[in-house]
Amino acid sequence: MTTKLKEVDVLLVGLGWTGGILAKELTAAGHKVVALERGGMRSTENDFAVPRIRDDLRFGSRNDLMQNPAKDTLTIRNNPSQLALPMRRLGSFLPGEGVGGAGVHWNGVTWRWNDNELKVRSLYEERYGKNYIPADMTIQDWGITYAELEPYYEKFERTAGVSGKAGNLRGTIQQGGNPFEAPRASEYPLPPLESSYASELFNKTATELGHHPFPCPTANASRAYTNPDGSKFGACQYCGFCERFGCEANAKGSPHMTVIPIAMKNANFELRTHSWVTKVLKDSSGKRVTGVTYTNVMNGQEFEQPAGLVVLCAYAINNVHLMLLSGIGKPYDPVAQTGVIGKNYCYQTGASANLFFEGKYFNPFMGTGGLNARTDDFHSNWDFDRSKYGYVGGATLGAGMTNGRPLGYRPVPAGTPRWGKAWKDATAKWYNSAMNINASGAVMANRYNYYDLDPTYRNAFGQPLMRMTFASKENEHKMGRQIAAVINEIAKAMNPTHLNPASARSGSWSVVPYQSTHNTGGTIMGANPGNSAVNKFCQSWDCHNLFIMGASVFPHNSAYNPTGPVGALAYRAADTLKNVYLKNPAPLVSA
Amino acid sequence: MTVMQRIGLILSGMLFVTSGALAADAAHGKKLFEECAACHSLERGVHTVGPSLNGMFERKAGELAEFRYSPAMKKSALPWSARTLDIFLADPQQEIRGNRMPYSGMAEARDRADLIEYLQAATK
Repeated sequence: MTTKLKEVDVLLVGLGWTGGILAKELTAAGHKVVALERGGMRSTENDFAVPRIRDDLRFGSRNDLMQNPAKDTLTIRNNPSQLALPMRRLGSFLPGEGVGGAGVHWNGVTWRWNDNELKVRSLYEERYGKNYIPADMTIQDWGITYAELEPYYEKFERTAGVSGKAGNLRGTIQQGGNPFEAPRASEYPLPPLESSYASELFNKTATELGHHPFPCPTANASRAYTNPDGSKFGACQYCGFCERFGCEANAKGSPHMTVIPIAMKNANFELRTHSWVTKVLKDSSGKRVTGVTYTNVMNGQEFEQPAGLVVLCAYAINNVHLMLLSGIGKPYDPVAQTGVIGKNYCYQTGASANLFFEGKYFNPFMGTGGLNARTDDFHSNWDFDRSKYGYVGGATLGAGMTNGRPLGYRPVPAGTPRWGKAWKDATAKWYNSAMNINASGAVMANRYNYYDLDPTYRNAFGQPLMRMTFASKENEHKMGRQIAAVINEIAKAMNPTHLNPASARSGSWSVVPYQSTHNTGGTIMGANPGNSAVNKFCQSWDCHNLFIMGASVFPHNSAYNPTGPVGALAYRAADTLKNVYLKNPAPLVSA
Repeated sequence: MTVMQRIGLILSGMLFVTSGALAADAAHGKKLFEECAACHSLERGVHTVGPSLNGMFERKAGELAEFRYSPAMKKSALPWSARTLDIFLADPQQEIRGNRMPYSGMAEARDRADLIEYLQAATK
């Protein structure tokens, strides 16, 4: 039996970075906001204190902060002719669960995606000609520009306490920063972190070879910091337990210690944890949403929560899933190429080399999530001529020390046995004498990479699982070959005792080894309802009182990590909701 | 060396934290407190990641019943004073091994003196 509750002004589905930002901003503006979070409450003091948070088995290997695939998962296949099978253990990506969401277990890397991404189709066509982009590469302009997002990037960086060095202040290139970044109005709120020995070695050789390394911008506080909202950050202790863990020192910018506690102090805000939203409801016209249904996962009780405005703030994959389950918008069909919900699922690619140096000591137990020197020469550098390699997009590359976890970090030279005495000897010998050079590569949208509902498998609530159809395409393979060659050139010049060289990923893609939790697309943004699910304000074209936050609105994926634009778009949506939409609820862009 | 032995050594060496020549700067100490403020409140009874520091100089380490201290901190029962805090802050894991405070220490004696000067007033 479903209990119908009293209507609320604003309903947020999920309480991570984007839900937290909206909760704080909208309650401060006087709106009544309810957030439904399917996981539990999380706080630094109760959940992330040492020593329990540094449990590599529990959090690193068994993913204790993540979604439980026994309750809800995806089915996976590489192309539409295959039968998709459920992912029964988490692997390639790790969707978070609980208050704070993925903002709790991220590394902190915070980039500003620029017009190379936001105007991807028009810029590539202008420079390389109309025929350069392959026919099945369904990339599009986002309908928004870097200039529109700049103040919101700044706002997010200040909230999250990002450490970094500007490379371009109002058009003037700055020594020590990323010379290829888009112009910034101000410096980063915090100076860069202390460098690591691995970064120093990489910097020296990469610079000699003509690259332009700089400290990776990251929400790991290089010193104690109080953000503009008054949230207090401790200084990063370089323990290296960032990715897959919560930060014990409140040094990693996370929603559970910034925006969420501020919202929770406001009487206008109500959080209901363990509340699993199963459907967004529409009125009879289909042009407005009326609320959601959800289940209290602690006792199975079902509720209908009416709301004037619904904002989907769950993990990217789950936002798309909810749209498909709710029948809002037309599902994407890759054959007819009609519909938009589920379209342009993208991932990331990469290449990586391990370098082993007899007699050099890298102290991998001292690191932090974004402790990297990176180069943008083959990514945001628009002067880099992609036509030599024939691809769209690019890759950043770099080296540093992000963790030296006892189970997760075990580099050994190629050819070492996988177990037994020889492995033990090698791992003991090389734990402290290895470093890595890695590339993070963009994935462009492709006609046949998409989401839809699985016809066979169902979740714990009896609903169809989301089906992911994804394979790396030739564009990624071309990029991988070029960037692996660059990594190996730098690595060889560093003259290691042993080198496990980088090789381009080939073939389609496997869901088993961990790769990246940067899943994008499915409810993409664009300039018109024919090619997108939401407009540039992240407002649904179909139902104007439904907004969608997070990386599911990205029409393609970059080499950059997604949280920068996720945060910026949420702050922009908050402003739009406060100043425009909630005063006069209507479509913000006419279709 | 135990904490009390260390304190004895310091006393016998007459290495006082604050001397006339180096008057501690509470204003600078207040700024340095930012390093602590992410986890420690100065308000009575407001415990977050770490215990409230209100009234700390009248307490022993690990004394508050309502805060869940590490066994190491409780066992130490270190009476907090300018001197014991100075020693602790210089290298927290050295002085109370196994305590849970995620802070690697304040290396400069002068900074510690300034911070402690500030805390002596601010925790009252």
